[in-house]
Amino acid sequence: MLSRVAERVYWLGRFLERVENTARLILVRHNAVLDLPKEVQPSWELLLQVLGAEEAFGRLPGAPTEKNIVSFVFGEKENPSSIISSLTCARENMRTTREILPSETWERVNSLYLSVARRSNKDLPQGVRHAVLNNIVQSCQQITGLLAGSMNQDAAYQFIRLGRNLERADMSTRIIDAASAGLMGNVDETSPFRNVLWISVLQSLSAYQMYRLNVRRSVEREGVLAFLFQSTVFPRAVAHSLQQIESSMKLLPEHKGALAVAAGLRRQLRETDFSTLEGPALHDYIDALQLQLVDVHHAIAVGWFAHESH
Amino acid sequence: MAQPRITSPKPYTRARPRATIDWTNYDPGEFYDEIISAPGRARPATRSLAAFMRKQTIKHLISRQQAADLAIQEMGITFTVYSEGQNIDRSWPMDIIPRIIPLKEWQVLERGLIQRLTALNLFIDDLYNKQKILKDRVMPRDIIDSSPEFLKQCVGAKPRHGVWSHVCGSDLVRDADGTVYVLEDNLRVPSGVSYMLENRAISKRVLPQLFERNSILPVADYPSQLFDMLTSLSPRRIAHPEIVVMTPGIFNSAYFEHAYLAQRMGAELVEGADLVVGSDDKVYMKTIRGLSRVDVIYRRINDDFLDPEVFRSDSSLGTPGLFRAWRKGNVGLANAPGAGVADDKVIYTFVPAIIKYYLGEDPIIPNVPSYLCVDPVQCKHVLANLAKMVVKPANESGGYGMLIGPAASKKELALFTDLIKKNPRNYMAQPALKLSTAPTLCGNNIEPRHLDLRPFILQGKKHYVTPGGLTRVALRKGSLVVNSSQGGGSKDTWIVDTEAN
Repeated sequence: MLSRVAERVYWLGRFLERVENTARLILVRHNAVLDLPKEVQPSWELLLQVLGAEEAFGRLPGAPTEKNIVSFVFGEKENPSSIISSLTCARENMRTTREILPSETWERVNSLYLSVARRSNKDLPQGVRHAVLNNIVQSCQQITGLLAGSMNQDAAYQFIRLGRNLERADMSTRIIDAASAGLMGNVDETSPFRNVLWISVLQSLSAYQMYRLNVRRSVEREGVLAFLFQSTVFPRAVAHSLQQIESSMKLLPEHKGALAVAAGLRRQLRETDFSTLEGPALHDYIDALQLQLVDVHHAIAVGWFAHESH
Repeated sequence: MAQPRITSPKPYTRARPRATIDWTNYDPGEFYDEIISAPGRARPATRSLAAFMRKQTIKHLISRQQAADLAIQEMGITFTVYSEGQNIDRSWPMDIIPRIIPLKEWQVLERGLIQRLTALNLFIDDLYNKQKILKDRVMPRDIIDSSPEFLKQCVGAKPRHGVWSHVCGSDLVRDADGTVYVLEDNLRVPSGVSYMLENRAISKRVLPQLFERNSILPVADYPSQLFDMLTSLSPRRIAHPEIVVMTPGIFNSAYFEHAYLAQRMGAELVEGADLVVGSDDKVYMKTIRGLSRVDVIYRRINDDFLDPEVFRSDSSLGTPGLFRAWRKGNVGLANAPGAGVADDKVIYTFVPAIIKYYLGEDPIIPNVPSYLCVDPVQCKHVLANLAKMVVKPANESGGYGMLIGPAASKKELALFTDLIKKNPRNYMAQPALKLSTAPTLCGNNIEPRHLDLRPFILQGKKHYVTPGGLTRVALRKGSLVVNSSQGGGSKDTWIVDTEAN
């Protein structure tokens, strides 16, 4: 398999996951606001913070209002992490790899792109927001399902899976980071809304129900952190994503270097005691973790995409 | 035992008179028609088709055409048009009524095409090596000296089998008296063969009855013939040399064909950045297992962009060092760099002399009479008769930058008069031929439309000619421009063995 093709399907996996997660984020933010009194509502800027898009937003005219931020995250082509930008990238990566992917996948990605592109210049008012975003999440899941159900589980598939899981792990850390730092800042430890906020964190990762089933205790900080970082059964937990990454790597040739990096990170994650990580220490830990995820990406790139001339 | 199931009686339908195809209404006028010899009379090889169509209603034919269009969309057979700003894929236009050539006639054309490519390859090899043809003054040296397609970097190169143009697409046209001429040779990166193959696949789908009744030469083995030819270029004598198709990428108008051929040959489709030339001057492709040696490159990228070290340094489409690897004989390139020197439209006029010089034979397929504007006497004739001429620039393809005298406005004629006077070397002219026609489904009618034929000829260790080729048809009434980029369509081409029927 050509490295270029491998790299393109890897990014296809990443961008599709990014589209889905971004849509989820707006959705959850939208729902959380409806449950909370004004004074404890997390600000909309938090969304920008999670996506690391504050700077890009600042470069464009417009105040950080709800309307502007949602439009920016949904349909702004100047924003490299908007849904439309990620979808454009997913589609471009797919155009040249169509031959190795089931043909329905191209049709699905293409029609999802077209439906988002049609809306991208308009606002996303509250009345339609849920329907539009939900459709995006469902389409992404459909595409993931199509790939899982109709594609040879060969090297190409493993690269898509690598991209998807690495992106997922990265996004989970971002959501937890934003939640623990920005989100809780203005809510008192004893506030009755604290619980609601942690629930919304779980919800943004579709983790609430699974948490209940798996953890079987009330929703509180320590339990939520352990679940989202260390669970080996919940698909959006960081440890689980790393586990998936390792299993994909093992199915690829020349995997020693990359596998060592991913396995090292998972081991370290398993041994972390999150109850001792408070406030700034947690933020620093997450920062370091995100850099380690970048290391995993580099290990993948060096192992399979980049070549030293000889 | 179960009871027989009760069905309703057949609904009563009133018999309606069926409007079938009436060949007596079809009149190609002064043109040679490929199917009909006179109103109501089919040519011998086309009788079965004409009889079949006589039994069809126009409605039925339209429904078959729609089935073909749908199949083309579903199969994703597209081509790309540059001028539309965005890179838009258009469905490939194919007319379902096939174009038929009798086997006996085809066999002569086939020999003629092989003769022509053999001579042209001897010519190119001579130009880059001993230049005997120039020394013997069969061709003036300044024609080569002034040709931008003569690559001095190739002087002294000796590709395997002495072959430079391995895949050639020669355009054939038929004049009013039935004579077939070679209109031009495409010796660089001719395209269209995938459409030839797809046209056949479509017509087998929508007109299966005709394949049962006729003995039609199959075309489907082209990819394996191409693969064998490419294999014969491998520098390593190994059982399974690594063969790749090199594409400039998705924005190229023929990307569909590149991907198609790679897929059919089981070869990797690579872009320039996928390849690397090592310090050992060998070519490798970057795979997830590491670097892997490449033996033969079927490159669908122009000379200019092939290797930024040697040609255009701003090219990001090619691979640095590729030319060096080829010169050292470490990789086979099809077609070889520099092969384009022989499809200069001025050199074209020398092809009969080239055949005579290298093979000692008369050309089997004649050239269209041509006038070189670089010759003052001929140029005068061209300018005096411009409205009856087709003027072509020496180094353009795809129907760009040419003048069709009979269809041109006064303004266009004046513009070309200027252009020719300014740069005579860049132009040649031919009398406008009365291109032959074939019945084509146009809206609700069957009307004659002009067409040409592009057969594909392979030369490596051996020769191969596609049985038939790609028939291109000008869909606009009266138009002579068949290029798909200029609103042309296509037809499946049948070589029919009448004696086997």
